[in-house]
Parts: sequence; C-alpha cells; structure tokens
Amino acid sequence: MIEVKDLSHQFELGKKGKKTTIPVLKTVSFMINKGEIVTLVGRSGSGKSTLLHLISGFLPRQTGTIILNGQDVTGLTETAFSQFRLGTIGFIFQNFQLIQSMTAYQNVELPLILNGVSETARHVQTLNTLAKVGLEGFEHHYPSELSGGQQQRVSVARALVLNPLIILADEPTGSLDSETERDLLDLILELNATLHITFLIITHDEEVAAIGHRSLAMHDGQLIDGEVN
Amino acid sequence: MRFKDQVYFVRENMKKNKMRIFMTVLATAMGTAFLIVLASVAFGLHGTLIKEILQQETINQVNIYGKEDAEGSGITDQDITYFESLDNVRAVKKSNRLDQAPQVVINDYAATADVVAVDFEALEKGGTTLQSGRYPRAANEVVVGVDFDQTLVEIGADDNAIYDEENERRATSYYQGKLVDQTLTMTIERQIDPDTFEEKAFPLTIVGVKEEPAEEWQRDQSVTISYALLQQFSDYTQTQNAALYPPDENMTFSYQEIALQSDNLEHVTALSETLNDEGYFAYSVAAELKQINLLFTIAKAGLVFIGTIAIIIASIGIFNTMTMAVTERAPDIGIMKAIGASPKTIKQIFLLESSFIGILGALIGTAVSYLISMLVNVGLPLILGTVFEDTVPEGFKFSSIPPSLVLIAFLICLIVTLVSGSRPAKKATRIDVLSALRREL
Repeated sequence: MIEVKDLSHQFELGKKGKKTTIPVLKTVSFMINKGEIVTLVGRSGSGKSTLLHLISGFLPRQTGTIILNGQDVTGLTETAFSQFRLGTIGFIFQNFQLIQSMTAYQNVELPLILNGVSETARHVQTLNTLAKVGLEGFEHHYPSELSGGQQQRVSVARALVLNPLIILADEPTGSLDSETERDLLDLILELNATLHITFLIITHDEEVAAIGHRSLAMHDGQLIDGEVN
Repeated sequence: MRFKDQVYFVRENMKKNKMRIFMTVLATAMGTAFLIVLASVAFGLHGTLIKEILQQETINQVNIYGKEDAEGSGITDQDITYFESLDNVRAVKKSNRLDQAPQVVINDYAATADVVAVDFEALEKGGTTLQSGRYPRAANEVVVGVDFDQTLVEIGADDNAIYDEENERRATSYYQGKLVDQTLTMTIERQIDPDTFEEKAFPLTIVGVKEEPAEEWQRDQSVTISYALLQQFSDYTQTQNAALYPPDENMTFSYQEIALQSDNLEHVTALSETLNDEGYFAYSVAAELKQINLLFTIAKAGLVFIGTIAIIIASIGIFNTMTMAVTERAPDIGIMKAIGASPKTIKQIFLLESSFIGILGALIGTAVSYLISMLVNVGLPLILGTVFEDTVPEGFKFSSIPPSLVLIAFLICLIVTLVSGSRPAKKATRIDVLSALRREL
C-alpha cells in the first residue's frame, strides 16, 4: 500500500552564498501493506515528520521513489497529487487543523465538496461519518464549541468521509488527555478492523506506538528498527 | 469542485467580512455609475440629435447648390433632366426665391411676403402633403405657409391694436378669415432706370395651406408660387427671379435650390457621392449624419475610457480586499490544500469572489446610473428654466443609457475586477501547506 524506496531529503538553510544543507532523510526504504497500522517513532528531528510530509506530497521529493496504492506519485504534478490525495489519503493532525469558521458538519463535508459530490449524497455521507465517530448532535457546533477530543473526532471524520485507503496521522494524540487518547486509539483500531484502512502514525507516545501492527524507529534521518508488535 | 459549491463557498466567505466587502462593492458601484453616467451624456445628446435630424423632412434629400463648371449659368433644365435620370431619385424639387418682397393683400389685410417658386408637380410626387386645400393647377394659383395669416395686418389699424406693451403681435390682430379660395393680390415692382420704379398688381388665388414645419420653433409664413408665375413676374421685371434691378437683356434662367428626393435613406449617401463626383456641390443631411455618428462614437469611446479610469481606481480596493482575504484565510487555504483542494480550485474560488464584487458593484452602479440619468433628464431642464430662463426643446434628453452601454460597463467592470483579483488568487495558490498548517503565514 505504501512503498518508499531510497528516499533522501535535505533542507537548505541560510542566505544566498552562505547556504548550508542539512540532510534530514538518508536513503529511507520501507513498505507498509494494506490494512496495516504502522507507527513511526523517533526523537524530535529524527526525520519522522519530513517523511510523512514527503509521502503526503506537502514537500517536493528530491531523490527516491514513493509508491502509494500501486501508483508512483513521485512524478505527479501538484494538481494531480491534490486529486490523488483527495481520493486516497486521509489526514489526522496533532492540532486537528479544523477550519474555525465552519461547523463540525461543514468541516467533514469539505472533502466531499472538493470531490464534487452532490448535495444529497454529501448530506447522508457527512451525517453517517459523524455518527461513526460518535458525534451525533454536534453537527452544528463550531470547533471552538467542542472539546479537544471532539475536535479530533471531527478531524478523523473528515479524514474518513471519502473512504480513504490510507490515513496518515501526525501525533494524533499529542493534544489530548490520556482518557481521550484511549478513545481515539480505540476508534483507530475499530476503523482498521472494520474498514481495513492502512494507518501510518507518527508518535512519541509509547501507548500509541503499541497499537500498531509494526513500529518503525527513526534516528538521524535513517530507519534504525522495524519491529513487529 | 462544482460551480454551485464554489458559489456557496464564496458567499460564505463574503459574509465573514461584510463591512470590507460592502466598501469595496460601493467603490466599484461608484466607478461603474461614473462610467455609465458620463457616457450616457454622449449617448443622450447623440440620440436627441439623431432624432431631431430624422424628424426633418429633408433627411431623404440631397441638396444641390451649384456645379463646378457652371460659369455662372447655375443649374439648368439640362441638369434637371440628368438628375431625373438618376437611379433612386423619386423627385427633383426645385425652388427659386423671389428677389423682392412684394406686398400682398387679402380683403383688408396686407403683408410683405416672402415668395418662393417651386415645381408643385415634383413636390406632390415627392410625397409632400398640404394641411388643407390642393396643389395649384393654374399659374395664378398659390399655396401659403401655415403661419401666413400671422404676417397679415389690417390696413390702417392702430399700432396699439397690433402690438402689445412688449412689442409682440397681439393674436387678435392676426387675419382671422379663411385662406383657401381667397383672392390674394400680389404687387410686383420693377425698376425701369436707377431712379424710376413702377408696379403691377397680380390677382392670385390661394388654393392650399402647407403643413406645419417639422420643428416646433419654425414658422412658415411664405407664399409659394409656380414657376409659370415666376416667369410672368420675370417677364414683367426683365430680371432673373424678378430682382429689383434695371432690365437685364442677357438674362438667363437657372434654378437656385435643387433637392433630390431619394426613395430610401440608405441611397442618400451614395447619391450624394455620385453627384459630388459629377462636379455638383451636393449636400445631404444623411452624409452629415455619418459625420455626426463618427464624432459621437469618438466622444462615447473617450468618455467610456475616462469612466474606466474610475473603475480601475475602484479595482485597487478589490485588489486590497482580496489580498487581505488571502492573507486572513491562509490557514484555511492550507487545510483545504492539505485535504486535496487543487491550486486551480483555490484560484477559481478567489477569482469568483472578486468577480462577485465586480458584478455586484456593476449591478448597483447601473441601478444608480439609471436613477441619476432619470433625475438629470427631469431636473436639468427645470434648473435651466429657473436659473437661465431657458427652455429645453420637448423630448430633449441629456442622458440616455442604452443596453449596449450597460453591457460595456459590465464587461469593463468584470475584466478590471478579474485582473485585480488574479494576483491575490495566484498568491492563494502558492500558499505553502506546511507553513499554513503551522500558522506561519
């Protein structure tokens, strides 16, 4: 489902003439199968987020190959990658990344709108997805009117609403208390079990790392360990 | 993303900053209104002028004032034959003005008349109608202008009975009787030698009264006679057009004014050009109309250009509003891009928003322009009447807004707003997802 081959990346810092390059990923290769939950752990600055951003297409690839759902996405244009992302990948962010001026319903409906789904179908899908994450009755609440856990559920619902094959999660429990964290992890496990969605989760948290079928560890831009839980 | 959803998105976004959007729409509306009202003056005056010209009976005419190689002989019967042979000429109207102002008497009323000789047959053929009576059939029959009765003064009447305190003719002093079938005695003078004059009375019969002139302000007080009668007067005076000169032995006859009546307005310009090419001094109102149209087209284009500057100034506001909107919404744009919104979709949303501002401004501007135009057309004649004691002719329009002007204003407004919105829209597409998600923008 996710195949990364010899992926390297470096950041350029400083002004013209005094530029220094800092390598953040050094020929990283790994593969994640369909329906797997893989956690990516490592210290800050180890290159976890850069890896996730490269897979997401948020960062332009420098060297290496990324194959998602059998498609080599490394050569895709920005527009083509956007379209691919919309239909294939769902995102869960640490800070939820909800549009504050939109209600929970509107936030979840957004990917459907971008995908050109009709109004009637949108309505049904949005309500079903909100129900799936346990947010019935909160449709018309703005993010500021919801708790952290509820906001993250809205974020999960938004990631789920287009039935993605892959969900990329960047520290999904980073802003949650332990009880809410447990609820979210249960939800992830349930979604994986029922919908067979592939998860790649970046985390510092050992409890989160433990839910994965496998855990990948990174250090200084390299994969140092691939352990089956 | 469907267009309907884009519209919904834009509407929701516009609601978020109502005051800023309102001010931008207001500026655009003012720019559009300025453009339309400014250009409407040229449209109004042009329309009024064209209407005035088209109302004239002479619109289908080509007037001929002479020819290049005439050597003083003027327009002769030979030329008339040539004119009559031309295609698209319905009638050749000829006229000569009597070169003296003879005294005319009807019953006890007298006047000094303005006498014109015409070819009645050509007039009738040209479609000129009379208000009453018929066209003359005999040499001693004449027709008079509709205001001829106003020139007649009772013989021996006191000045106070004729003129009021402001030296204007009293309506009661006009000839009140009927004109048709009345005998009119016209006294023609002749000069025998530089110091000797004599006169002869010609008894004539009024058989018809001409139609009202095309313009309200025009007066027709003339007496129209036939060429046969003019010939009788010339035979008596021995001068051309019965001029008060000593007898001229080498007297030749030529027509003073020739008007060719075309069968269709479309043929007038071509006819005029043909005659000019043949060496005649031809003039037609229709050809002048072409010049007027050209002049007004230039004036309209100039005014639209000046008006466009106002819209361009307003577009600075749109640029500012859209740039601020992009900056404010950068995190939202980042989220949308992260989810899967393509740069094209983001660009379309912002271009649509600036177009909405433009269209809304143009709509309001157009409505305001119609209101201003209406007020100007009603108010300006009143102001002119009150302040300058000047009356504006009936039906005179200072300002006119045809649909074409509205269309032009809309197009200009839309293009200008799209151009001013394109840079912010492009900026929105370039927003870096990661920077936006980190709220670094």
